[in-house]
Amino acid sequence: MERYDIAIVGTGPAGLEAAITAKIRNKKIILFGSAALSEKVQKAHLIKNYLGLPEAGGADLQKAFLDHLSQMEIAITDEKVTLIYPMGDYFSIQSSGDMYEASTVILGAGMVPGKTYPGEETYLGRGVSYCATCDAPLYREKTVAIVGFTPKEEAEADFMAEYAGKVYYFPMYKDEVHVREGIEVIREKPVSVEGGMKVEKLITTGSAYDLDGVFFLRESVSPGQLVPGLEMDEGHVKVDRSMKTNIPGCFACGDITGQPYQYIKAAGEGNVAALSAVSYLDALRRAKA
Amino acid sequence: MAVTVITEANFENEVLKSDKPVLVDFWASWCGPCKMLSPVVDQIGEEMADIKVGKVNVDEEPGLARQFNVMSIPTLIVFKDGKAVNMSVGVQPKDAIVALLK
Repeated sequence: MERYDIAIVGTGPAGLEAAITAKIRNKKIILFGSAALSEKVQKAHLIKNYLGLPEAGGADLQKAFLDHLSQMEIAITDEKVTLIYPMGDYFSIQSSGDMYEASTVILGAGMVPGKTYPGEETYLGRGVSYCATCDAPLYREKTVAIVGFTPKEEAEADFMAEYAGKVYYFPMYKDEVHVREGIEVIREKPVSVEGGMKVEKLITTGSAYDLDGVFFLRESVSPGQLVPGLEMDEGHVKVDRSMKTNIPGCFACGDITGQPYQYIKAAGEGNVAALSAVSYLDALRRAKA
Repeated sequence: MAVTVITEANFENEVLKSDKPVLVDFWASWCGPCKMLSPVVDQIGEEMADIKVGKVNVDEEPGLARQFNVMSIPTLIVFKDGKAVNMSVGVQPKDAIVALLK
């Protein structure tokens, strides 16, 4: 498999600056994220403290960032990264589309609201799952609920319906839902997961459903789930001044490392993270020579 | 040590009656995270002489998966003296897997 020097996750100011710095240092990079850039960039109202760009709106910044990327010939791989696993001297990366390998990883995927439902963590692996494509065949003939946070998850519900006896789909968004026939779409909000040794019920705002499994499919997974073994500190990834995490070769930058949540701070950390990854790669090469 | 393929037929002899602790990896060919975890489990099997590593393909052995309530894969279960003593679900760092065996 092709091995990248640096895999960067996130297309906000942190990830983008990391990509640009790594590219300038001639590293072979892959940048994962939304091709239209982080929603937080697009939707920003007005940013007054970004150096050199007074009174910049989100749309202006988005355009300026995209122009910068195309000038540097940096492409965005528009896939959702679902798992990053440290293999020793490299990382194995699984995305919605494919598997990749990289010597270092820079996490710049922003801050995800860390809220989970009562019972969700208790029953993880005992009826609660985050990966329908992984576990669907284990639910043959069973009753499951898919809680989809974006319309992209409708495909997962369709996949699940090929195996499960009964599928409930709970859209956590307002858009019209398009799922295959037989899937019951329910516009209620989950409240908690209950059961004994394993999941037995999903309690919602309107009712309670007897079932065997609940799949929570969120926009992004928490950093600790994304990278098994990653050390966290009160909901943020723990880093030092060089943006190193507790896992050798894994760096983090931007909102994911903690407050202040500012564009210029995120970009600055992206720069530091990329330079630290470059030093790490140099050390790795020297150790192998 | 080589990895043993565990089936319902050899489960009793290879796992329950094993004189060494057995690390059993429940996996399937369609599961991406299982593919990531698998080489690490193999590595642990090679590095630790005092344990045994077994693999259960949940597609081929749904009975074993049911018996041990495997509802998410990869799942790792450690058996000692004929009993399941430790379990972990999902992809785990290598140290965490080694810790299951301690």
